[in-house]
Amino acid sequence: MDEWVHQAEVWVRQAESWIRQQPTEQIYIAAAVVALTILLLIVASCLKSSKPNTIVLSGLSGSGKTTIFYQLRDGSSHQGTVTSMEENNDTFVLHSEQERKGKVKPVHVVDVPGHSRLKPKLDEVLPKAAGVVFIVDAQDFLSSMQAAAEYLYDILTKAIVVKKKVPVLIFCNKTDKVTAHSKEFIKKQLEKEINKLRESRNAISSADISDEVQLGVPGEVFNFSQCQNKVAVAEGAGSTGTIIFCTASANPLPMLDAFHVDC
Amino acid sequence: MLEELLIFTRGGLILWSSCRALGAAALKGSPIDALIRSCLLEERSADASFSQDNYALKWTFHNDLGLVFVAVYQKILHLLYVDDLLAAVRREFSQIYDPKRTSYDDFGDIFRQLHREAEARAEEMKKSKQALSSRPQPALSQKKVGPKGRRGDSHGAAANKGGSGAKDDSDGDDSGNKDQNTLVNGAFKGQENGVRKENSLARPVVVKGKENGGPKDNGAFDVSKLQKLRTNKKNVAADNGTKKLTKPDTKKKGKQDRVWDDKPSNKKLDFTDPADERGDEVTDNVAVIEGESMMDKDEDLSSDSEDEEVEDGPKKKGWFSSMFQSIAGNNVLEKSDLQPALKALKDRLMAKNVAEEIAEKLCESVAASLEGKKLGSFTRISSTVQTAMEDALLRILTPRRSIDILRDVHAAKERGRPYVIVFVGVNGVGKSTNLAKVAYWLLQHNLSVTLAACDTFRSGAVEQLRTHARRLQIPIFEKGYEKDPAVVAREAIQEATRNKSDVVLVDTAGRMQDNEPLMRALSKLINLNSPDLVLFVGEALVGNDAVDQLTKFNQKLADLSAVPTARLIDGILLTKFDTIDDKVGAALSMVYISGAPVMFVGCGQSYTDLKKLNVKSIVKTLLK
Repeated sequence: MDEWVHQAEVWVRQAESWIRQQPTEQIYIAAAVVALTILLLIVASCLKSSKPNTIVLSGLSGSGKTTIFYQLRDGSSHQGTVTSMEENNDTFVLHSEQERKGKVKPVHVVDVPGHSRLKPKLDEVLPKAAGVVFIVDAQDFLSSMQAAAEYLYDILTKAIVVKKKVPVLIFCNKTDKVTAHSKEFIKKQLEKEINKLRESRNAISSADISDEVQLGVPGEVFNFSQCQNKVAVAEGAGSTGTIIFCTASANPLPMLDAFHVDC
Repeated sequence: MLEELLIFTRGGLILWSSCRALGAAALKGSPIDALIRSCLLEERSADASFSQDNYALKWTFHNDLGLVFVAVYQKILHLLYVDDLLAAVRREFSQIYDPKRTSYDDFGDIFRQLHREAEARAEEMKKSKQALSSRPQPALSQKKVGPKGRRGDSHGAAANKGGSGAKDDSDGDDSGNKDQNTLVNGAFKGQENGVRKENSLARPVVVKGKENGGPKDNGAFDVSKLQKLRTNKKNVAADNGTKKLTKPDTKKKGKQDRVWDDKPSNKKLDFTDPADERGDEVTDNVAVIEGESMMDKDEDLSSDSEDEEVEDGPKKKGWFSSMFQSIAGNNVLEKSDLQPALKALKDRLMAKNVAEEIAEKLCESVAASLEGKKLGSFTRISSTVQTAMEDALLRILTPRRSIDILRDVHAAKERGRPYVIVFVGVNGVGKSTNLAKVAYWLLQHNLSVTLAACDTFRSGAVEQLRTHARRLQIPIFEKGYEKDPAVVAREAIQEATRNKSDVVLVDTAGRMQDNEPLMRALSKLINLNSPDLVLFVGEALVGNDAVDQLTKFNQKLADLSAVPTARLIDGILLTKFDTIDDKVGAALSMVYISGAPVMFVGCGQSYTDLKKLNVKSIVKTLLK
């Protein structure tokens, strides 16, 4: 042990003497370069993480996420879509904004597959989310209501969503169809279902919690205004592309400003 | 007829569809969505085909570009050329694919061409088969025509020049290769010509063949030997040794074919690489013409050459170049590269008590999803395989349906009827014990529970349940022994409805999956009472038998039911989970086989020892 300490002392002394021998300018320059590099790295990492601009498209399988994704990007849904097996992920200037003059900011949009086996994928993208769009099939709403409410409940109770107050837009898709339900109806039904879920989920013993936060005010009937993050409802039709997010002008969500121009 | 051929990205965007491009009628229903949901996403992508309604579907992937190719055809038709066509379409489309482009209207012409070729090839094959079976002697000539396609062309030419020796033969082959090159460039005339040329060539071949047959036996034999060598080399080079295992089999088949009036076994076409198959066919045919006696020699030679090739394979890739490739991140994964890593992974899964069959299937599926992918820089194959497997396991174990029983109970309560859960399983797995645990859990959430003692078979079963009921202070419905359990269950449900009970837990007798009378009784119980949940109770200790148990239970429930839409197992209760340490494989086996989620996990002797499955920790344990 003592030998090693002694050895180290010798080396330190040698190093000191070597540094003394060098011209002072050289040492200053070296120190400055090191400091500058560290500063640059810090600035870069700050800029990167300061503002997430990812919009997450979520919803059940078959609600039209991929169609809306391509509608936003290219302004057409091409030849149609099939069930996604992987997420679609792109940073682009919205198609409707491309002709506009002035400053247009590209958005990062992620379309998460809706198949229930692929639900874990959502956890990967939520930390970066600036906003979540939850897409509901308004035409085939009644049969998928329970599953949709469950999915929405999962999103609303994710710790990261509540903590960062990520705004959520419930988008009722396919309203161009005659048999589609109105957004008021859908909103009411979803609130009702979530209210039921809240009871049954809160009742589950502490050993098997999957949801991290309590939703709404205990003892009151649930509605979306009780959420800490903003939740809004909009309707439109992804396949025609004419009226995507048409009610978004009255929309309080800042992140959806990027979207509402798509009307 | 082929109904549709669809090309789409893994993200779900349709890039090209034959229906749209050629103006055919659209499909009924959505078989493709069904395929993706119940086959590709369930890690069954290594299966050969999938059928839905009246359609049969086949598919292939291009993993590097993230493309999926699906062919749909009527189930009753056995289209032999589908695999061939998919491979051809895949090859052609991957050349014009560009991630930024989304419409490929010009692909229609190419597809039509490919389709016609594939059909013609299949047609010829069929014809040769028929001819062979009806007239053995002239069938030879027909058979020569049989193996169509680019290589068949070259060999036809080569055999034609049979008498003149080896040099001419190699020339013929070169021209064949040229044909192939032009093909790859996208011009399909080459092959069209090839097919036509071959037809015209085929006739002289026969004549010459017969002439050569008797007097000039030696010369002809040389040709055949050379050809055999060449084709074998090609095969080995293409497959890089992975096909080696299947090789002896095909060889044996070849020997059988030599019998004059035997049918060639074209069945193989369905699953082997078409190029490989064709090569083999050609060698067979040539050998048939030359006669039997030389076959053995041929075999020795070819096997020698095969060995050499295989040994050469790995040598070429020195450690330096492979390291360079891994740094540059340009290494395309091939099946042979994946094999060792997959084997290690399979062994590890089996050590964790995953059923062998399932470990095998999973590894195949993972291989299918990785083959052809580019390896990222600074990543090893084993770690890539590991991540892919982790994703797959996570996907399998994530429940497909809601496992929130309490909500379903509340929904049933609103409708004014009790929620019925039937516990089924083999003997001694802990049905009654875990039924009591579930009852305790439900009671804790302010639900009223009724027990139904439908185990009227084993002595002491009713008393056991009565003890539980007394301890938990809940009503029990019993009718003693030697009664029909289905009737007892029905009366119990009626009783519970009258008493406004929320949940009825039905205990059944344990039965082996092969016991037909008992399985019939169970099927009757389930069909008569239509419970809300059929819970399969299985022990976590079970190994390979898990597969058999669940498949048989599901099968028997489906087969023995009187109604067309039979109820199957909805969920799994895994018992004795505290006894297995890290051998958690049974959970995976059961979920994979049945597709039903694990709803509860029993892990102890007291009423409180009931848990939910933690998917992430299971995956971690499995891959540890």
